[in-house]
Amino acid sequence: MDDRTPVTVRASQPERSERIARLVNAARQGSDAALGEIVAELSPLLWQVARAAGLNLSDAEDVLQTVWMRLLAHLDGIHTSEALTAWLVITTKREAWRVSAAGRRQLPADNELFSMLPDQGPGSEEQVIVDDQRRILWQAIGQLSPRCQELLRIIAFVPRPDYTALAAQLGMPAGSIGPTRGRCLAKLRALLAGDLEGSSQ
Amino acid sequence: MTPSDASGITPADESLDDVDLELLDGIREVFQAIDPMPADLPERIRFCLALRGLEIEVARLAAEESQPSLAVRGAELSRTITFDSDSLTIMIRIDPNLDGTARVDGWLAPPERREIEMKTAADSLTVASDEQGRFAFDRVPRGMAQLVVRSAESEQSGAGRSVVTPALIL
Repeated sequence: MDDRTPVTVRASQPERSERIARLVNAARQGSDAALGEIVAELSPLLWQVARAAGLNLSDAEDVLQTVWMRLLAHLDGIHTSEALTAWLVITTKREAWRVSAAGRRQLPADNELFSMLPDQGPGSEEQVIVDDQRRILWQAIGQLSPRCQELLRIIAFVPRPDYTALAAQLGMPAGSIGPTRGRCLAKLRALLAGDLEGSSQ
Repeated sequence: MTPSDASGITPADESLDDVDLELLDGIREVFQAIDPMPADLPERIRFCLALRGLEIEVARLAAEESQPSLAVRGAELSRTITFDSDSLTIMIRIDPNLDGTARVDGWLAPPERREIEMKTAADSLTVASDEQGRFAFDRVPRGMAQLVVRSAESEQSGAGRSVVTPALIL
């Protein structure tokens, strides 16, 4: 499959939660196939979490492997799709932080989105995005604060029914992820509408 | 702090309108295009997860360096990789063999006699470390590989944890 083909990870229907819960249950009872399906479904989200935290490509790959291996020891306590997503995202963030804090490898000078993209020269992101609307969106995202960039990047990959469980664990008080996300989205909408000049956040 | 959210209701979610939802879809597409997960990563993860049933301790990649290989001319590199877990440090050096396989020399710290398994896509190889913690695999096929240091006590009691590394590409 072409990497760039948009994959639909957002099935916001309750069936998704039920399906994931069934897979978690089967995985706990030893089904490798079920575990493999969960890996396929949630790894793209965890990839964005690790990369948004500033990890380079090979560190991000290691962190994802570590997180999934650690999940094996925690499966007994996880029964719902929400709990699974929350555990995976927060563990990925912690592992990413641990790797960064160890300082064993060169982190980009700053943590911002644009500095850690694959180094293909200026303008290459725009070449990857063929669609004009998406290119405008990409440029607008780049004008958001690093915190908004990270938050929206992660939230965009989280299956919507799993937001709630994630809120309490993303390092912000429950209830505030909504308003924060709302502010970030509002800022983005304003940027897209051309209402704002530069960054004022 | 873990504020209770017993209601399970997210009022903020209700406030997302169609434009917001479309924006989030757009953001996802943009990042999928710009920074996609490597296509082979899920396969490597599944390879690592074939250890179910073992009581495991995960060793994390702590350092990696490469030098030009002395054994094989050309662009081949020797790699030295260190993994750390709570109980054990594993250091390995990977050298290319002339026949296209790889030689792996390793050291455990603290030094111990342990059974060490190299899982590869095809099968798995097992060696034992000596009392200095040294071990060696003469010929490991190229491709995915994962080290499993078996628990020291497993022969007697079945207790103790095996230390496993992430999948390497040899």
